[in-house]
Amino acid sequence: MSFEDWYRQDRLPHIYCAGCGNGTVVNCTLAAVEQVAWKKEDTVFVSGIGCSSRAPGYIVTDSLHTTHGRAIAFATGVKMANPDLHVVVITGDGDLAAIGGNHFIHACRRNIDLTVVCMNNQIYGMTGGQGSPTTPLGCLSTTTPYGCAESPFDLCDLAIAAGANYVSRWTSYHVKELEKAVLAGLQTPGFSFIEALVQCPTAFGRRNKFKVVADQVEYLRAHSMLKAKHDRLLEQGEPVPKDMFIVGELMRRNRPALGVKP
Amino acid sequence: MTRTEFWQGNTACAEGALAAGCRFFGGYPITPSTEIAEHMAVKLPKKGGVFIQMEDEIASMASIIGASWTGARAMTATSGPGFSLMMENIGYAAMTETPCVVVNIQRGGPSTGQPTMGAQGDMMQCRFGSHGDYSVIALCPASVQEMYELTARAFNLADKYRVPVFLMADEVVGHMREKIIIPDSVEQVPRKALVKGTLPFKADSDGIPGFPQFGKGYGVHVTGLTHDERGYPCATNPKLHEMLVMRLVDKIESARHEIADFDIINPDAELVFIAYGAPVRTVQQVMHDHPHDNIGFLRIRTVWPFPEFALGEFKNARHFLVPEMNLGQIAREIERHMKVPVTSLPKLGGELHTPAELLAALEAYR
Amino acid sequence: MKLVIDETRCKGCNLCTKVCPYKIFKEGKKANRKGIIVPELDRPERCPNCRLMHLYGRTICGVCQLTCPDQAIHWVEEQPYEPKKVAIEY
Repeated sequence: MSFEDWYRQDRLPHIYCAGCGNGTVVNCTLAAVEQVAWKKEDTVFVSGIGCSSRAPGYIVTDSLHTTHGRAIAFATGVKMANPDLHVVVITGDGDLAAIGGNHFIHACRRNIDLTVVCMNNQIYGMTGGQGSPTTPLGCLSTTTPYGCAESPFDLCDLAIAAGANYVSRWTSYHVKELEKAVLAGLQTPGFSFIEALVQCPTAFGRRNKFKVVADQVEYLRAHSMLKAKHDRLLEQGEPVPKDMFIVGELMRRNRPALGVKP
Repeated sequence: MTRTEFWQGNTACAEGALAAGCRFFGGYPITPSTEIAEHMAVKLPKKGGVFIQMEDEIASMASIIGASWTGARAMTATSGPGFSLMMENIGYAAMTETPCVVVNIQRGGPSTGQPTMGAQGDMMQCRFGSHGDYSVIALCPASVQEMYELTARAFNLADKYRVPVFLMADEVVGHMREKIIIPDSVEQVPRKALVKGTLPFKADSDGIPGFPQFGKGYGVHVTGLTHDERGYPCATNPKLHEMLVMRLVDKIESARHEIADFDIINPDAELVFIAYGAPVRTVQQVMHDHPHDNIGFLRIRTVWPFPEFALGEFKNARHFLVPEMNLGQIAREIERHMKVPVTSLPKLGGELHTPAELLAALEAYR
Repeated sequence: MKLVIDETRCKGCNLCTKVCPYKIFKEGKKANRKGIIVPELDRPERCPNCRLMHLYGRTICGVCQLTCPDQAIHWVEEQPYEPKKVAIEY
């Protein structure tokens, strides 16, 4: 039994571009679901709109591919109406933080027993490469042709501030750690948020000087700093290099959760 | 055994939903429908149901669709501004054939308008509000009794036709208090389950597929994209899209005779009132005061799909008068079916038509 | 067991080449019929999963399979009479 059994084999190969990080993150998510030993009949995947959100169409369980940004609201309805179902939400940075921002913070506040895997490619990939709320300052996209003038969100900070029980961030390079993080999120009652920074070679990479897929993955690897190291640097008063992503388990707590069967 | 109560219209709507087996309410407070949410908040948990106040109306509509896919009868209640917000997800419910009930206690519009005064300004919006072609069912209660009965009927219609069903009430009927006789039980017609082994979106002979509930091992993929019979997205296939949209529309339009619910009074009259919702009460008063004037009355409870065949019952009609609390939204629909002149009697401002106004109209066209 | 790249799925992104800790993959040179330059295997018998999966009963390493965005990497049993390459450690 491996994570491959959770794919709809008749629908593969999928529509993702060559080298898309989304494929990797779906592999890790399914490997985690396989490990936590949920039954396929009891698992539901919910997604919004975007490249990341096409993933549930390739997964063999019941799935709900909803409107842009509202995946978490639909998932709340599914979970509250039938708390026996295990609900995993797959979403993207624009789907979650732009149009879906309100639903995101309320789900964190309510601490509803969902696991959200956000594939953050820092761009709107499906629609051709527009800037997203997580596009870094100065980066190019079709709607920020002179460099992005807005500061990006830190999705994990948002989740922690709004009250999520489990928050963690990894990249598509760190496959084993990402699998473990998703596993921990699935097992934690309450709202679990796992942000996965992924490469988008077609929309982001091409416009931001990443010639090959491997270059972008190398960038993600080189700019990831473990939380432990980050905390140590802060403690010692050392300067933290800019443009680093803090990866690791960023929050784990036990706030009262909604939708958990007693 | 039946009992008699003195209830507010909103209370009757909530009680009708509970009697019909509603087990999920996801809503957001908005005058004049808040009482429905408040009543459900108290009563639903006692019946093992779930009440959740969502963060906005968009999330409310989304949550009831999600809940409906787990097999629960789900509803929400809102008014004009919230109704506009829900439109995208209403289109999603229509496209994915999700049964759900949306109650719209209409108030003066547009925009924030008159929160505490009635209107019927959303009638066209409920039929054509979301983008694309689809068909819905809309019921219009004119009394507290009908708020109860039509809400209960709405759930059966939603489950049978797998479509969002709208209860288009107005603030007048929603906030009034009246005597209501409560039947001891309400008939519940459950959803047709999908036969294991059939494709999830393959329609039966009535154009409606079986319902593949989540958690039962169907492994169904539900998407708002144009999909084929397996549920998989096929957005670039013109023939498939045409077939899907035609099926979504035909399943309702071809069943208009079964869905229709109307009363015909004095079918051989020459002057006929057509009314739905709160103006029905004024017409009833006029008919009561002038029983020998041979005034015809078509009282419609199912405004969408519009029962144009009911218009043909008035064989001697010379003129149709349509009192509405809007600028003639349904009069326009009636007009396109009739060669006989149709006059709209609009009333804006939140107050009901007075019997004198309707009589004056009658005299003008006699 | 041996490692196989499914050519119907591989899109030639070469991420496996980058992440394998044992450097089993290297960039291919020829395009296949679909026009994709599938990575080539350099002494794939060094892959610990191929050698040890039966011994431990679970996937060892497996980073390439998890990383591959197209689910193109699988381990299959060798057919009977198929030559099985072994890595000898000194």
